[in-house]
Amino acid sequence: MELNKITCESCNYVNPPGTQLCQSCGKMINSDYDKNKIKDLMRYDGSAIRSKTRSKSVFDKIWIFFTSIKVGVAIIAIITIAASIGTIFPQEYFIPVGADPQQYYTENYGALGKIYIELGFHNLYSSWWFILLNGMLALSIIAASIDRGVPLYKSLKNQRVKKHPTFYNRQRLNLHSDNVNNIENIVRALKKKGYKVEEDHNHYLFEKGRLSRWGPYINHIGLILLLFGSMLRFFPGMYVDELIYIIEGETVQVPETDGQYYLKNNKFTIDIYDEESGTVFDDTLQNINETVVSNYQTDFTFYENKSMDVVGATPDLQKIEDYSVQVNHPYRFDLFEIYQASYDNSQMKSMTFQLEDNDNNPVGEPFTVELDNPHQSHEIADGVSVDMRAYAPDFLEIDENGSLISETPVAKNPAFVFEVFDSESSELSLIQIMNSTDITENNEYNVKFVENENHWATVLTLKKDLTMPLIATGFVIFLVGLSIGSYINHRRIWINTDDGFSISAHTNKNYFGLKKDINPILREFGYEEILDRDSQKNNEI
Amino acid sequence: MKKTTRSILRVSIILSIIILLGVTLWFNLTSDKKTVQVGDESIDFQLETLNGDSIQLSDINSEKGVILNFWGTWCKPCREEMPDMNRIYNEGHDDYEIIAVNVSEDEQQINQFLSSLDEKLDFPIALDRNRDVTKAYQVGPLPTTIAINKNGIVVDKKEYQLTVEDIYSFVEQSTSE
Repeated sequence: MELNKITCESCNYVNPPGTQLCQSCGKMINSDYDKNKIKDLMRYDGSAIRSKTRSKSVFDKIWIFFTSIKVGVAIIAIITIAASIGTIFPQEYFIPVGADPQQYYTENYGALGKIYIELGFHNLYSSWWFILLNGMLALSIIAASIDRGVPLYKSLKNQRVKKHPTFYNRQRLNLHSDNVNNIENIVRALKKKGYKVEEDHNHYLFEKGRLSRWGPYINHIGLILLLFGSMLRFFPGMYVDELIYIIEGETVQVPETDGQYYLKNNKFTIDIYDEESGTVFDDTLQNINETVVSNYQTDFTFYENKSMDVVGATPDLQKIEDYSVQVNHPYRFDLFEIYQASYDNSQMKSMTFQLEDNDNNPVGEPFTVELDNPHQSHEIADGVSVDMRAYAPDFLEIDENGSLISETPVAKNPAFVFEVFDSESSELSLIQIMNSTDITENNEYNVKFVENENHWATVLTLKKDLTMPLIATGFVIFLVGLSIGSYINHRRIWINTDDGFSISAHTNKNYFGLKKDINPILREFGYEEILDRDSQKNNEI
Repeated sequence: MKKTTRSILRVSIILSIIILLGVTLWFNLTSDKKTVQVGDESIDFQLETLNGDSIQLSDINSEKGVILNFWGTWCKPCREEMPDMNRIYNEGHDDYEIIAVNVSEDEQQINQFLSSLDEKLDFPIALDRNRDVTKAYQVGPLPTTIAINKNGIVVDKKEYQLTVEDIYSFVEQSTSE
């Protein structure tokens, strides 16, 4: 790379090192540069892109690598592709609570699911390489912005009003005329249209909408804020998103609060729309033939633990308040929010049985066994009682010494040994939900399963997000930058009267609008319309 | 002058991104895996026992080594290692204590299991009803057995059914200084 100042061969203007286009005449003076990119060069008016001028230390090499647009686009492409693959199957935090991920993905999605989990796509958005990619994106955005922003700033700040005639000819819009009489009028008319004027002898530079050029950089600032905000989510205490599962009547510790807060689920309610409420929805409700839920609600009591002691110790709970959360109406405390998220009634709570004699006649009243605390004796009629002798929540087998073996602690396949006492004798039977097997011989009684009741559990989400203000600001700045870049046009017009009247014009977008600025004025003062090199080309074709 | 500002800018931006990335990755890796490992300090806890007493790790640990055994009645290896542990415990336990932490089962289930054993278990059975201790120790599979020495340091951890040799090794490690 050239490190010396470059003297333009055609106009003898001395340009700073690394310059691509002569700052006076616009001739290409750096032979290293790809000739197809002349249009692109106009973006910085041909001034040196900083990274292309020197390369020395490791840091410089890293820097130069990341300033490349190609590298930036490649990083964005990889992030986009990876992020979309992450949406093909659910992420790990969406699979059922307690399921073994390895097993879940293989069972539900087959071989692809296995590959998915092997490659770590089930935790994509917090995987080390995804974080690394986003860090690289941040570096790429910052490096590219500084490397292009600084020359842009310089080139816009130190614009030469005086340009060589060849510069005029190189612009897409230009016109030459011998009529030099109306120059004052043209200056006034362009000023009226909001152009700022700079004058250097008989050379003029008109400019407006320079802010447009800063749109992408403002946009990038927004992106950096976004990336910074999403990074902070990994920092402890910044971001919490956890499920809280509470069976009706139970009290649990609120996670992430170091045992300071407890929640008691007093009642979980599902309301449905009434088909005969007399509103306009009645017909629809009857037609669709299914119930439509109007409200999911958890009534809970919020407690503070006054003796934050060692793990496992009984908390000293002091009631703070009763509250009802509904969907989208969370409970707020400290910096947390508790949302109604879901519910569960798949866990069995109790089972009801009826004692029958050998002729299937019911004996006494039905009795109910609470599965969470099932050690009870049930007096069901005068002189007749049923004792529960053994219980297995998830019955597997009876082992050699006669005890019931459970496969899991979850009440999925409950089995009981009941002992029935009447005034004369006692007898034993084994009950699984629908089967019953006599253990003692010649039993007089059967215990029949009648019904079961399930637990109602509410599922709440505990949320905390301190990064939201940052992320929201990032988005707003991003959009502001995008609008500035898209809807404002940077327009520049050069005029001189060195040799007759010469005008040329450049804009970063919307040449049509630029021509609409210029042509009425030219016409008014007796000039032809400005020539557009591109539309001429098109006409020839 | 200009050149130095430029390198300072480049170096500081690259370094700060690398540092922030490193910190983020470190937080990310350490956030979910806080399992208690060998070499870590034990976490103090207080639980009710099956007998209705209260048991606190630090009280016992101040004089004795402790073997924590996380178990459930539905877990076959847990059931099978209990009698072995009990036998070795009864050979003398002046220097150590076994605490069998039952993970979230009701007393009916525990008593039902105990009554099916040939002998009475002599070490205390602690009831971790809300899994507070299980969560604090990040216990995954059952049984998980942890040896804590007299200095309160975790010296061994096994996540399978202990053999008799394993149990002796646990006793030895928990009683070592």
